[in-house]
Parts: sequence; C-alpha cells; structure tokens
Amino acid sequence: MAIVAQHTKFSKIAWPVLAWVVALIFFFPIAYMVMTSFKTDADAVKPELLFSFTPTLDNYANMTDNYDYWRFATNSLITATFATLFTLVVSVPCAYAMAFNPTRATKDILMWMLSTKMLPAAAVLYPMIFMTKSLGLYDTKFLIVMVLSLINLPIAIWMLFTYFKDIPKDIIEAGQMDGLNTWGEVREILIPLAWGGIASTALLVFIFCWNEAYWTVRLTTTDAATLSKLIEGNRAPEGLFFGRLSAVSTAAVGPIVVLGWFCQKQLVQGLTFGAVK
Amino acid sequence: MANRTIPRLLQTPAVVLLLFWMLVPLSMTLFFSFIRYVLNNLRRPEWTSPSIENWRGFGNYQYVWNQDSFWLAIQNSILIVTSILFLTVILGVAIAVLINRSFPGLGIVRVLLISPFFVMPAVNAVLWINMILDPVLGLQGIAVNGINEIIAGLRSAPVVGGFFSLWPEFEPISFRATQTSAYAVIMMVTWQWTPFAVLIFMTSLQSEDQQQKEAATLDGAGRWNQFRFLTLPHLGRPIAIVVMIQAIFHLSLYAEIEIVSRGNGNKNLPYYIGELVNNNIGAASATGIFAVILANIVAIFLLRMVGKTLME
Repeated sequence: MAIVAQHTKFSKIAWPVLAWVVALIFFFPIAYMVMTSFKTDADAVKPELLFSFTPTLDNYANMTDNYDYWRFATNSLITATFATLFTLVVSVPCAYAMAFNPTRATKDILMWMLSTKMLPAAAVLYPMIFMTKSLGLYDTKFLIVMVLSLINLPIAIWMLFTYFKDIPKDIIEAGQMDGLNTWGEVREILIPLAWGGIASTALLVFIFCWNEAYWTVRLTTTDAATLSKLIEGNRAPEGLFFGRLSAVSTAAVGPIVVLGWFCQKQLVQGLTFGAVK
Repeated sequence: MANRTIPRLLQTPAVVLLLFWMLVPLSMTLFFSFIRYVLNNLRRPEWTSPSIENWRGFGNYQYVWNQDSFWLAIQNSILIVTSILFLTVILGVAIAVLINRSFPGLGIVRVLLISPFFVMPAVNAVLWINMILDPVLGLQGIAVNGINEIIAGLRSAPVVGGFFSLWPEFEPISFRATQTSAYAVIMMVTWQWTPFAVLIFMTSLQSEDQQQKEAATLDGAGRWNQFRFLTLPHLGRPIAIVVMIQAIFHLSLYAEIEIVSRGNGNKNLPYYIGELVNNNIGAASATGIFAVILANIVAIFLLRMVGKTLME
C-alpha cells in the first residue's frame, strides 16, 4: 500500500510539472517573437541580451514606416470579413436544406463538397492567373474575397450541417404547423437555436481566411496584398531586422491567436465534422 | 412539390459555386497540359499563347515524367507529409494523455498549447527559419556557441578536462541546404499542427469510459496495458480524422516551402508547379494533373476510412 501511495504522490507532482514544461516549450517560439519585438534591431541579435534587455516600443511605433503594416492589415481585415460573410450567406441555406430535408443524394453531395477541398490548389494556379488577368480581376480584393469564400465553403457547410443536424426536427415541424414559411423557420427557429454554431463557424472561417497563404500570395501584387504576402516577403536572413520583423509578425498573428483561444472547443467540433465530441 | 423545390433552391448557390470552382479551372489545366504553351519563347512566338494548333498530345506528361526534379518533388512531398503525420499523431497522443488529468493551471496549459495552431503559416516559417534555426543569428546558433564555450571551459578543468578535450567543436546546422530545409519544414509544421492533434485527442479522451478503466485496474491491468487496449482503440476514430484533415492541408503546403527553400532545390509538388508556372505552362499543367491524380488516390483512401464514421 505504501508503494502505491508514494507512486500516487509522485505522479501527482511529476505529470503536471511535465505538462507545464511541454506547454511552455510549445509556446516558447511565440513568446520569443513577442519578446524580441520589444528589442531594438541591434539588441535583437546580441546573445548576451537574450533575456535581459531594455524594452522599447519603437518597433511598433515605426511599423507603418518600416512595413506599411496598416495597409496590409486593412486588406486582410476587409478580405477576411467579406469572405466570411459571403461564405455564411451561401452555406447557411445550403446546410439548412441538407439537415432538414435530407434526400438520398445529400450524403453524396456532402462528400463531393469535401472532396473539392482535396483538389490541389497548385494544379489550377495558372488557369486562375490567366482567367483573373484577362478579366481584370487579378490583384483585386473582390477576387481574394471570392477565392477565400470558395476554399472555405465546404468546411463551413460541413460544420453548419453537423450543428443543424442536432436540432430536433419536431421544432421545425411545429413551426410549420404554426404557419411559418421557410424564411420564417430560419429567422424564428434556426438562427436563435443554432446561433452558437453559426458564430463559431464564422470565427473559424475568419481565422482560415486571415491565415491563408497560397492564393493571397500568388494572386496579389500590391492592391489586394494581405499580411501573409507582407510577411512572406521577408524570407532571406540577409538584411532582416529581427526587432521590427518580430513586431510586425506579432501584430499580424496577435489578434487571431487571441480569437483562437476563445473558440478552441468549437474548433474541435467543427474541424472533425462533429465526429469527435 | 414546394417541399422539394425550396431545399433544392437553397442548395443551388453552393453547389453551382463549387462546381464552377472545381470544373472551370481544372478543365483549363487539362487543356493546357496537352498543348505546347511556353510564356517566354522568343524563337517560337506561336507557343506563347494557348491554342489548339499547338497540340502536343501526351508530350508534356512525358517531359515531366522524365524530369528528375519531378520525382524529387514527389518524393519530398511524401517525405514531408508522412513525417508530419507520424510526428503529430505520436506527440499528440502523448501530450493529450499527459494533460488529461486535473492539475493547477490546466486552463493556461491548454491555452499555451493550442496557440501555435493559430499562427499564420507565413509568420511560422519566417520566425522558425530566421530567428530559431538560423546557424548564426538564430537561437540554434546561439545555443551551439554556448555549448561550445562551456565545453571549452571544461577542457581546462581538473579531472574531467582530459575527457572533454576529446570532444569536437559542435557545428551549427544550416537549415537552408537542400535536405535540411525539408527537416526545417517538417519541424515548423509539426510545431503548428501538434496542438491541433492534442486538442482533438484530448476532447476524445474526455469521453472515454472511466468505469471500464476502473474495472481494468481492479483486474490488475497495468497502466501500459490500459493505454494499449482501452485508450488507443478509443482514439482510433480521432486519429483517422486528424490524419485525413492534415493530409488535405499538407499535400498543398506552400508558404513554408516558399520561404524556407527558395532556390535551394528542396521542392514539394505545389512548389515545383509554382516554378514551372513562370514559364512552361504545358509542363506545369501536366504536373498539376499528376498532382490531382495523387490527391485523388489519397482522398479515396482517406474518405473510405473516415466517410462512414462521419455520417452517423
């Protein structure tokens, strides 16, 4: 018995300590980036000042001069917001119809939609450049909004479908008895009941749009360039200034990481299509 | 009648948009893959615009098939995707089991652990390759220098000095070389996606049958056997889903490769296509079709594996 008791006491301390250590290791790169963002460019590369340095806000103050941060951030915000809205406008009715009026084809349509996610983007890169250039859409925010919506549509529909599926059908039928039409059902029953699901879908789509780094890099030059494009330009180690680079990187990911903290639970349900609860 | 029409109308926009997205660009790629189409060709200006006159049949496919760099790109794609899948699943299960208990600060631990997943890929790559892995300015360089200095100090120490004087100086590794940059990509993507695996496995572990485990303990089953015969089977479905979702994302990995490996020969399939797109559209399109075929093989396999469980 004594051995068991000792063992329990040991594991009560050791495992939590190990868990903390692992968590800190995983968070360390982010912490290091944030820390470096408060160093001057000169201090940032001095090993002796790794942890003890005089913090400065200059890197943040000069973000506009150094990188034109706000222009890219505005583009990111505009494209991600409108893409999220458009995705919802298209996916909510679709998921609603699928969840409440399933037919034999519904399962196949859902699977087909998911399979469009597996189409390698690179395979259609040139046609996209070709089409958008000949239509005059290349490097426009409209184009980025449309592309971001299209690539997130399948995931949004799947997420919403799994949320709507859990709403009892009786409620909708009761609504129909009371003489509600389709729009009435959506407004009076669906949206109030599935509000949480719709909100977390929107949040997740927004995060994906903000972080997207294939189309936003390949289909923009200046006018519609997002933060991904801005950061992607800093790839060579020569001529890089770690202090200011850290500041602009922190500003680019900060809002999204904080937003992510609030929706971790929904993320699980959403990304696993409700298969893991 | 109305009961059927309205649901169909509601689905139409989504279906039409996705159908367009899937069919129009892809059929253009298919067409381009059968013609000679080279953007910067001064000697044959007729090849610089797409036309049925420049029909090449399977010539582009043959050309790509015989390129060593194409096979290297495929090899690299597979190496990167499978390594990431392997590492994230192993680490994910280990960490999820580790934090599946109540202890002070569990909430903070979860927040710290999930954070890397929300970092945008471009920042992830720039941060790792420059500030962490750089052999001179990055933490790697600083750490290797530090270790070398400690060893140098120990060489003159009494007793152990003789032992340490046998040690060589450590060399920092450059992660911008052809092969090492693939490892850098594997490292940074594993860092980003392990939290995702942890999150999903952790959620799944919370629904594990505790009574079963208690019964197993009473029957004298050890920790390892409980994990092996109860926990691991319970995690079967989440592991399948983590593998599927990650395969979707990592087969089209691009920003990390672009930032880490520009110009050093470490390409995956999307990056290889991206290079060809600057000039040889015919070859780029043929490679694109190969990529679609590869993705389909993976997709059929994965959807079979996961499809059933999703529809319950």
